[in-house]
Formats: sequence, C-alpha cells, structure tokens
Amino acid sequence: MSDDNKPGVVSTNDVKVEGEDEARYLYCVADSSAKANLGRIGLDGQEVFTIPFGDLCAVVHVCPSAPYKSDDNEVVKRWVMTHEKVVEAAWERFDTILPVGFDTIIKGEEDITPEENIRKWLEQDYAGLKEKMNKTRGKAEYGIQVFWDPEFIAGEIAKTNQEIRDINQDINSKPKGIAYMFKHKLGNILKKEMEKRADLCFKDFYARIKECTDEIKVEKTKKADEEKQMLMNLSCLIDRKKSGELGEELEKINKEEGFTVRFTGPWPPYSFVALG
Amino acid sequence: MEPVRNTNATLVDLLDRILDKGLVIYADVIVSMAGIPLIGINLRAAVAGMETMLKYGVMVDWDEKARAWEKDNRREKKSEVSSIGSRKVVLNRRSQVAREKNRSEMRIDCPES
Repeated sequence: MSDDNKPGVVSTNDVKVEGEDEARYLYCVADSSAKANLGRIGLDGQEVFTIPFGDLCAVVHVCPSAPYKSDDNEVVKRWVMTHEKVVEAAWERFDTILPVGFDTIIKGEEDITPEENIRKWLEQDYAGLKEKMNKTRGKAEYGIQVFWDPEFIAGEIAKTNQEIRDINQDINSKPKGIAYMFKHKLGNILKKEMEKRADLCFKDFYARIKECTDEIKVEKTKKADEEKQMLMNLSCLIDRKKSGELGEELEKINKEEGFTVRFTGPWPPYSFVALG
Repeated sequence: MEPVRNTNATLVDLLDRILDKGLVIYADVIVSMAGIPLIGINLRAAVAGMETMLKYGVMVDWDEKARAWEKDNRREKKSEVSSIGSRKVVLNRRSQVAREKNRSEMRIDCPES
C-alpha cells in the first residue's frame, strides 16, 4: 500500500477490475434537478451521487454489472439497511422521492453508458414518475398491524353466544360419546363466530383508518407471536403532518380489550410507487 | 399513539418494503441473474422467525376474503394505469414472476414452527 492510499480516498493505484464501473445501483428518483454528491454513504461505502434529467434526478452509485448477493445474513442486512439510509438521506435532502427496491441495477450497452440509459429511462417514464411524485409529495408511508388475542375473543364469544351457552350447559349431562360430538360442534360454531367477528372488526377498523389516510394498501397478514393473531396488515399513505390524527384513532383501537396495534413509520412511500 | 421505527418488529416491516416493493423498472437495461429473488428470504426468517403463512389455518380463507372485499371496494380506482405498464418486460428480479417465485420458495424455506 502506498503512502497516498488513505482510507476513504480512491487511489489511482487501485487495481481496475474490468467492467467495475459499467453499471449504476439505483436508490431512488428525486424531484430535483440537482447534480449533487451525497458522499460515501452507499453500499460498502460507495459514493452516492445524482444523475439529473430535467427536473428529476436518479440517486445512484457506481457498481459492476452484477447483482449484490450474499449468503451471509449479516451482510445482506447491512446492505438493506444502508439502502434505506441512502433513500432517507435523499428524502431529507430533496423532499420528494420515489424509492426503488433493493438491488436494482442499470447497466450500459455496447455504445451507451449506464448514465445515458438512466437518462433515457427517466425521459421515457417522465410523465409516470412525475405523476407518482405528485401523488406522494409531502406524504409518508406508515405500517399498521392490528392483532387480536384469539383466546380472549373466543372467551368473549363463548360468554355471549346463546347457542354455545346452551350446548355448554347440555354437555355435562351427556354420556362421553355424545359429549365428544357436542364439543366438536362447539368448535365449529366458535370457528364460524370468530370469522364473523374478524370480518366485522376488519371492516370497522378499515373504515376508521381510511378516514385518517390518503391511501391504503391491504397487505397479507402474517404469523404473529404465540398468543396473538394478525387481523390486518396495512400500508397507509398520509400527509406527514396528519400522522397525529391517525395515531389517535389507532390508540382507540389499541385500547379495545383483546386488541393490539403496531404503528410503524414514517417510511419512504415504497408501497405507493409500484405499478397497479 | 406514535409510530415507531427502531425495533425488531419494525425491521421486518421495513425489509418487506425494501425487498418486495418500491419503484419497478421495466427495461432491458436492468441487471438480473437467476436466483436473485432469494436474497433476503433467509434474512427475514432469521429476523422474526416469520413467514407469509398464517398460524391458524382457519384464518386463511378469511384473510383472502377480507382482501378480496377491500379490492372490490376500490375497484373503481383500478383504471389508473401507469405509462410504464406498456413497456417491454425483460428479465427483472422484481417482476411479478419473480415475486411469486419468491413467495412460494419462502414457504418451502420456512418450516412451520
């Protein structure tokens, strides 16, 4: 290593890997005409800069024409978090951005540089990109997950449902075989009632949350902790200044017995820039 | 309540967004490689021990019904079509096919606990 090879400074002595600058890793598109350098904040300390086209710019770093991949979870995690940090830095700086998913890389072609390809893409999709910018300007994405405690809810239903109460009362006076059948029937009724209740809760919460948001996307529910069950999983687009209102409504749901709400964000509007 | 950002639970929320969502570029200048959709799957499983499957089989139908109901509800908005939609779709790890693959492999990857 030569004396002038300081950390963070690209030395001219660095071995030039063939094709290492033949592509650009894309973080987001920003609503700005700025030609800017955001510093060495990219994946593995890469220098992040903008490629302007008109009043838009792409936020990128220089990379080889190959996807980032690793079997090491820690490495992937670090990359993904860095990706997010860069998107957020651009968000902070340029106000309105359209985040791009992890590992989106644009390459050059024989007689076209990757930067020309990016400008070409920005030009071709200009109208669509602008439309999405206008839709998300001043807004942020929030995640909302509502959980219920199925045992608690089942208990509530068992207490109030007349049919279940009747069977429960009968069950003790029946012989073993009959009692078993009754229990089976009880399970079926309870299952149906649970689904009915889930349906009602979903519609109720959805309507209340919708009142406080500009746009909602219903995501797949996921497996939750042992004693909880995810009832709804939403991505919401909302004016950043209005998140307090939403928070208040969610607090009300969170206070209902047997229910828990998880409220995350603000995130860049990942769920509101994709097609369809 | 205030939204939170820096917990283990929110990390999963964030990963879902960064890995599955964001602006999709349909162009033949996107670098891609077979197997790339797999990135992040083990990571997500490791972070929360969770997957897209539901814990209670009974809720699967219901979940689908709920989402169908919501979809019907906003069908009128469906006419909104992006200009990117008509463009050429080439090998792109973020394409719908890749996503579906991603999902199905994810199921295989994570045995029920």
